[in-house]
Amino acid sequence: MAQNVFVTGLGIITGIGKNVEETLNALKNLHSGVGAISHLKTVHDHLPCSEVPFSDQELKKMLQLNDQEIVTRTSLLGIKAAQEAYNFAQMDNCKKLGLRIGFINGTTVGGMEKSEQFYNDFINPDSNEYTPYIAAHDCGACTEKIADYLDDFDFVSTTSTACSSAVNTLILATNMIRAGLLDCVIAGGTECLSKFHLNGFNTLMILDQHLCRPFDETRAGLNLGEGAAYLVLENEKSLALRKQNPLCQISGWGNSCDAFHQTASSPDGKGAVLSMQAALSMSGLQPEEIDYINAHGTGTSNNDESEGNAVMQVFGSHIPPISSTKSYTGHTTSAAGSVEAVISILAMNYRFLPPNLNFKNKMEQLSFKPVEQLTENVEMNYVLNNSFGFGGNNSSIIFSKYKK
Amino acid sequence: MAIYIKGMGNISIQDTLGKNFIDAPVSYSEPYIRCIEPNFKDFINPLQLRRMSRIIKRAIASSLTAVEQSGIAVPEAIISGTGLGCIEDTEKFLSAMIENEEKFLQPTYFIQSTHNTISSQIAIYLKCHSYNNTYTHRGVSFEMALWDAYLLLLSGQIKSALVGGYDELTPTYFQQLKKLGFWRDSVQDSLNIVNTPGIGTFSGEGSLSFMFADNAENALARLDGMSLGYKLNNDEDVCRFITQFLEEHHLTPQDIDLFMTGKSGDEVYDGLYDNVSKMLFPQTLQAVYKNLSGEFFTASAFGLWSATSCIKNNEVPECQKINNIPTKPLSKVLLYNQYQNKNHSLILLSSCGC
Repeated sequence: MAQNVFVTGLGIITGIGKNVEETLNALKNLHSGVGAISHLKTVHDHLPCSEVPFSDQELKKMLQLNDQEIVTRTSLLGIKAAQEAYNFAQMDNCKKLGLRIGFINGTTVGGMEKSEQFYNDFINPDSNEYTPYIAAHDCGACTEKIADYLDDFDFVSTTSTACSSAVNTLILATNMIRAGLLDCVIAGGTECLSKFHLNGFNTLMILDQHLCRPFDETRAGLNLGEGAAYLVLENEKSLALRKQNPLCQISGWGNSCDAFHQTASSPDGKGAVLSMQAALSMSGLQPEEIDYINAHGTGTSNNDESEGNAVMQVFGSHIPPISSTKSYTGHTTSAAGSVEAVISILAMNYRFLPPNLNFKNKMEQLSFKPVEQLTENVEMNYVLNNSFGFGGNNSSIIFSKYKK
Repeated sequence: MAIYIKGMGNISIQDTLGKNFIDAPVSYSEPYIRCIEPNFKDFINPLQLRRMSRIIKRAIASSLTAVEQSGIAVPEAIISGTGLGCIEDTEKFLSAMIENEEKFLQPTYFIQSTHNTISSQIAIYLKCHSYNNTYTHRGVSFEMALWDAYLLLLSGQIKSALVGGYDELTPTYFQQLKKLGFWRDSVQDSLNIVNTPGIGTFSGEGSLSFMFADNAENALARLDGMSLGYKLNNDEDVCRFITQFLEEHHLTPQDIDLFMTGKSGDEVYDGLYDNVSKMLFPQTLQAVYKNLSGEFFTASAFGLWSATSCIKNNEVPECQKINNIPTKPLSKVLLYNQYQNKNHSLILLSSCGC
């Protein structure tokens, strides 16, 4: 018998707040984190981004890490958010109680933000000034830095499917808990801004020079963001032993491949249709039972058309309230799935629909408009969260309200 | 509960796509070695070939080999492990960005730089819309991908999965890892590397694909189980990790016919393999594979390929044996690999006859 999976902790840091409380306030006060770049040193500083407004030094201080510690910004953001989730769910008693704990992290940029600064030293055989950062570059190293800061985890893993990485961590965590292999897992993603992917997205000409406008007829691209977010997932046994109150449950997930193009989505959104349908089917839900969709909604011409078409195919004439909160946080790439999972769970538990900021003009091809205004006192039982990555890596996950 | 290996494809620094490579394994006398590549035109149509990076060509060729052997044209999952991802294109974009101060960049190398390019290009080639995932976790990246497939197959969510381990190594990344102590300055006879210990070993690359399925029909070998260990700090921890795993499968070390390890000739990490082998498997035939494959983040996939080949042929190649215990019929093989004494993996294989 597959075990139920409960969410008992959240942690988040993005341009709109350094913890869950600040994030909730920003969402309700329509405060976007997108603005001018200040920490990342780039010639493209005219491109708006949502940066976490703290330097590495400030983050290290917050985390009581030595200033000389070899740690990438991706790991620093990860530690900050994972620590909040860990404390939120009071995980410090897990090991004492003999529970098996895991840490599953999603990232793609990894240590690139440091490597691009120190690259000339890296490839100079006669210099060793920044050599320790070579060992910190790969994604797995970034994950282990976070894990080892927090606890002695029994299982540690890293997914990397670009912008859907974080949802795929939630999927693996769910599968391992359902199979009875882990009791309590921190899962989510982290990604700092790097010149590498800012320039990469820029060459693809999918960065808006102004504020992004997901699902708007005039949309002209995305704004990048950075951040990290994690969920604590656990089984019934762990829940009972630790006397935790669930925030919600995971009812189902879908993972598919668009298999269309390395960076473009198919116009009809085939992969997106498959991942949403799979999540609904695993949850045993009809489309009309979904109360809110937190869309991938990057604000690029291609994504919003493809995702919008997919939503229309899956939901027909019963399209639930839908919004993209990337208008708040920017596109936090590998962290987006868990950033938006935290936002979706906050929306469900605090009974509000976060609006799709900057929206004005309905897309002609679509039958629906996104949520335009903050709407409160909305009862939600099921929320669906989409994350789609380069390579057509499409993932969807459904959270359901916890009922005793 | 078990899953089955139905097909394999292997591009490595040996001629592993050839029929009889093991009769004439190549020994190298330098530490930086790249794959022996097939004629990719035998696998991929030339129009598509032109647009593919090196690691993608290899991944598609090894995948198609596994697909063909298995008879499963479209798997129900494609899951890849890669320690470094598409490092060649990553470096091209990175160095152009640095040299040109973020100007005049082309998107192609960026598009092909992300780790998930491999799984996704295989999916596009096979027109496979099913489950698709990528793991990148240091020296156990392949095991993480296999672990995901194993869970999905066991829970009945899928019936087949194409699982792979893919890593390329550029000259510049070789140099970077050299600074971290990965490689020796010189190598005389790579086939014999585990008998001439030193600091570091020699490098390899690989593109290894396996088709797994939930049924035994025409299977090459059966995978009975696997286990992943994190931060096992000493020999005793590792021995406990192994005996516990064997107990879960109702086995003792004596039941294992072949113990195959990731020993590489790097004396910094080989001690753990030696001690564990001595403590648990003194009367068991022991073998290695990194003397053939070289070391890379997904070299353990070569181990799985090699162990499966041993089972299929009921024979262990002489160049892989590291003790003189006579070979019994190979019905149970245990694979143990570890990365920097921190990440550990066990894979238990059986012949399908038992």
